[in-house]
Amino acid sequence: MSFTQYRVVLTGVLNPGVTQEQAIEAIAQLFNTQPERVSQAFTQAPIAIKKDVDLPTAQRIQNALSQSGVMVDIQTMEGEAVSSGQPQDVSIKGDQQTSKGSDELQRYDMPGLQFSIEGRPDYAFLTVQLPKNETLKVEASAMATMDTHIVMKTKIKGGLGRLLTSESLFINEFTAENGPGEIGIAPGTPGDLAHVHLNNETIYLQNSAFVASSSSVITETKWQGLAKGFFSGESLFLIRCSGNGDLWFNTYGGIIMLDVDGDYVVDTGNIVAFTEGLDYDITKVGGYKSLFFSGEGFVCRFKGKGKVWIQTRNVGAFLHWVEPFRPVESSSSDD
Amino acid sequence: MKADIKGGAAFGYLDLALEPGESVTTESDAMSSMAAELDMEPKVNGSLVSAFFRKFLGGETFFVSRFSNNTQETKRLTLVQPTPGEIRCVDLNQGSICLQPGAFLAATDGVTLGLKWAGLASFIGREGLFKLEVSGTGKLWYGAYGALLEREVDGELIVDTSHLVAYDPSMKLKVQLAGGIFSSFFGGEGLVTRVEGKGKVVIQSRSISGLTGWVNPKLY
Repeated sequence: MSFTQYRVVLTGVLNPGVTQEQAIEAIAQLFNTQPERVSQAFTQAPIAIKKDVDLPTAQRIQNALSQSGVMVDIQTMEGEAVSSGQPQDVSIKGDQQTSKGSDELQRYDMPGLQFSIEGRPDYAFLTVQLPKNETLKVEASAMATMDTHIVMKTKIKGGLGRLLTSESLFINEFTAENGPGEIGIAPGTPGDLAHVHLNNETIYLQNSAFVASSSSVITETKWQGLAKGFFSGESLFLIRCSGNGDLWFNTYGGIIMLDVDGDYVVDTGNIVAFTEGLDYDITKVGGYKSLFFSGEGFVCRFKGKGKVWIQTRNVGAFLHWVEPFRPVESSSSDD
Repeated sequence: MKADIKGGAAFGYLDLALEPGESVTTESDAMSSMAAELDMEPKVNGSLVSAFFRKFLGGETFFVSRFSNNTQETKRLTLVQPTPGEIRCVDLNQGSICLQPGAFLAATDGVTLGLKWAGLASFIGREGLFKLEVSGTGKLWYGAYGALLEREVDGELIVDTSHLVAYDPSMKLKVQLAGGIFSSFFGGEGLVTRVEGKGKVVIQSRSISGLTGWVNPKLY
């Protein structure tokens, strides 16, 4: 699966007009380390200054350093170059006073569809470039912009299962007819977006996390079992995504990807996605006393080896916070 | 006037330093803090008649507030918008921009808020019969829910009606179905706006209908 880890490599090259002292200062500040250690690194350049990070993190470091005039390369851990030197200027400028260049994520050389994510991490927005005759599956009512020659079709996916999830029953299919097109997708929740490229692999999504996928990804609703579903506080269903292609899912709040090897406990409301092969149980954290009084309630205990994505906010907690302030008897308008 | 937009994309706010003699017009209730010496007066939003139309047909408020610095020193004023989201600034130089209802936050003197007939199509798209056209010379601040993203249009672009925030006045807006009859009503997209022409549109990366669509099924 493309959960590739990256490293940031200090090339030793500086922008014109930037002295090595300034560069050392900037790096020391960014990594919160001694300037002496940085100047030592400079003598050994090219040298990896950050290892085992994901691509957005690596790009954030690259952006931050390029503002201080320091050029760094991003490579996979195997040494394959991803981007070098000046990062792509992907910020939206024009006459606007705010630009969010460093928040943006652009993909470089991975397989699959071309896409970009803007507005991270608070209100991430996905833009996908569709080649001619390519079809993209999108969560119902998430389309925000599209080219006029993209055609929308509504499909009922997942049969009866999706009817029972609180997620909308429909997935829309957008096809770029008569030429390539661009589509912008806005998830409903405030929060971040994650992308994975499935390579004959399977990932399970919490039922409202699905945003979009290539048409080759198979999406099915999967019954969690009554006990797991009921006690998890989430839906009784998960969405099983398998096959080959791109998959995007969203979170409420920020997103954290965890490598699980062995046992790991996640609050049920914070699970977004996990890879197949992980076994999970719904358990209580401590004894019965902590179950009722600690406020932690039930948790999900993962076993095995794989990846888990968690969100930094919990919709249940949000609803608990909002609930006392909601007017009784009012019908919520959805305008 | 020194003006800074702070707070990021999530909870943007506007930090203004008014020089002696300067003033700024804001959406009513936008002031979150101010130097005690600043003078605030409610103002009818344009002429009485147009203010009336703006309120009932343009989705804006009847009154706006005007903050003036009548002291001899620089005074501070902070402004906020009701929605979580980003705030942006536009320098208008004899130019104009159309804003969706509720997007206006503040403007310097020399900028006027006008109301224009938007057409029946806009009404059907639940965006009101009139549109707010801001013109003149000066600074305009506007904001919306989510991050604000710019798209250059040359030709046509379909925008979900609830995501449109601002656009060049030269652009034509048409309302149409998102897909076929079945898709449009069951696919959750419903009516969309077709933007035609050459210019810039600004969209918000979240919409209130997206938020309610996420939260409502979870509430009992």
